[in-house]
Amino acid sequence: MILKMSSLVSMAMRQTPLTCSGHTRPVVDLAFSGITPYGYFLISACKDGKPMLRQGDTGDWIGTFLGHKGAVWGATLNKEATKAATAAADFTAKVWDAVTGDEVLTLAHKHIVKSVNFTEDSNCLLTGGNDKVLRIYDLGKPEAEPQEIAGHTSAIKKALWCNNDQQILSAAEDKTIRLWDKNTKEAVKTLSFDASVSSMEYIPDGEILVITYGRTIAFYSAHSLDLIKAVDAPASIHSASLHPEKDFFVAGGDDFKLYKYDYTTKEEMESYKGHFGPIHCVRFSPDGELYASGSEDGTLRLWQTAVGKTYGLWKCVLPEELSSENSEALYCPPAEIKA
Amino acid sequence: MKTPVSVLRLPSGPEPNSRGFDPSSPRFTALCSSSSSDDDDDDEEQQRLRSELRQRFLWTLSLMKHKLVQFDMHERVRMRARFGASDLDVLRLQVSELETPLGVQREALVRSQDVLACSFEL
Repeated sequence: MILKMSSLVSMAMRQTPLTCSGHTRPVVDLAFSGITPYGYFLISACKDGKPMLRQGDTGDWIGTFLGHKGAVWGATLNKEATKAATAAADFTAKVWDAVTGDEVLTLAHKHIVKSVNFTEDSNCLLTGGNDKVLRIYDLGKPEAEPQEIAGHTSAIKKALWCNNDQQILSAAEDKTIRLWDKNTKEAVKTLSFDASVSSMEYIPDGEILVITYGRTIAFYSAHSLDLIKAVDAPASIHSASLHPEKDFFVAGGDDFKLYKYDYTTKEEMESYKGHFGPIHCVRFSPDGELYASGSEDGTLRLWQTAVGKTYGLWKCVLPEELSSENSEALYCPPAEIKA
Repeated sequence: MKTPVSVLRLPSGPEPNSRGFDPSSPRFTALCSSSSSDDDDDDEEQQRLRSELRQRFLWTLSLMKHKLVQFDMHERVRMRARFGASDLDVLRLQVSELETPLGVQREALVRSQDVLACSFEL
């Protein structure tokens, strides 16, 4: 049996979450960009109306997008982290230059906007909100009227592009998730639940949909909307995220804790305390090395996937070496040990 | 007893007086085309106008002191009060004899983000 050095370290170490302060109200949504030549980035949506951009691996603040006049309910970045989009209670969705922080576009809606999502090529923006209508904006022709898709009977909470941006997945307060064809604007499939869906994450690689409702974290095929597997957590869950390599998933909700599960066995591996309020959103970074959580307590916290590994601001310190006088000798070699 | 993972430092937080997006960062300099002198002139003009507007706003706040001010809030709520002062970030306004739908509040702090408009006689 081979025990990885990293597993030995993890067993001896206690998770130290990194707290990102700056918001003054609950953090309700967060999103990572893809991996860019400058690393990856994180955007957080907050009820204080001031979404923030942070360096993804350290949590260092980069800038605040100023302009919204109400709570920001949704935020997203394009893959290259050159554009950001936000959805707010001031009845607008805004598109921003994520390098300069400048507001590029304001898209007026008829009610609170809850969700925004770019296509892979960043040319179109999907919005959804309390007016129950999905809208597709062509960012090359911002003055043109958006395409509209109606059908939901209650406020839309989340809307995502999927299946090569040919289809749209939307979750609403009407307790349904619907899969729409972008061209015909027809609902291809509908999933109904007993409870309102609290969150939805789409994993393009593998076409998996992660859905949370009540205490359940469920995984569906994004093509067929067939259930793959489901897990019940100890408390009501508001958000969950699947690791890029699909070995773990994390979830958080009402009891302020973050839960980490083995995706294959569905077993709960760890739970972490840290937040002082319910967790509203949780997402894995694009490289899977950390996950970020946003809470009612107004903070964002970064958590290590492999506890104790040297990454970002975390430094691997082997327990015996903590009392060593020669602190320069501290390192964590990725060796394997036979047991 | 598990040892907590060490950290080099805490994540840096927002700067108090700036919205960030440092123009000298490697990403900014690489991705943003350099501005021409025309852009610089525009920027200067914008900055001048911004300074002017900011000055007028601050003068208005100081003129409001001791005056009877009417606050227009959401849901068509209107409240009158005697204006005292604003805090540094203009987040809260200190007022006296605030006439609210629930009665008169001798001393109060009004959250400026909740105020749609305020008016007073010069």
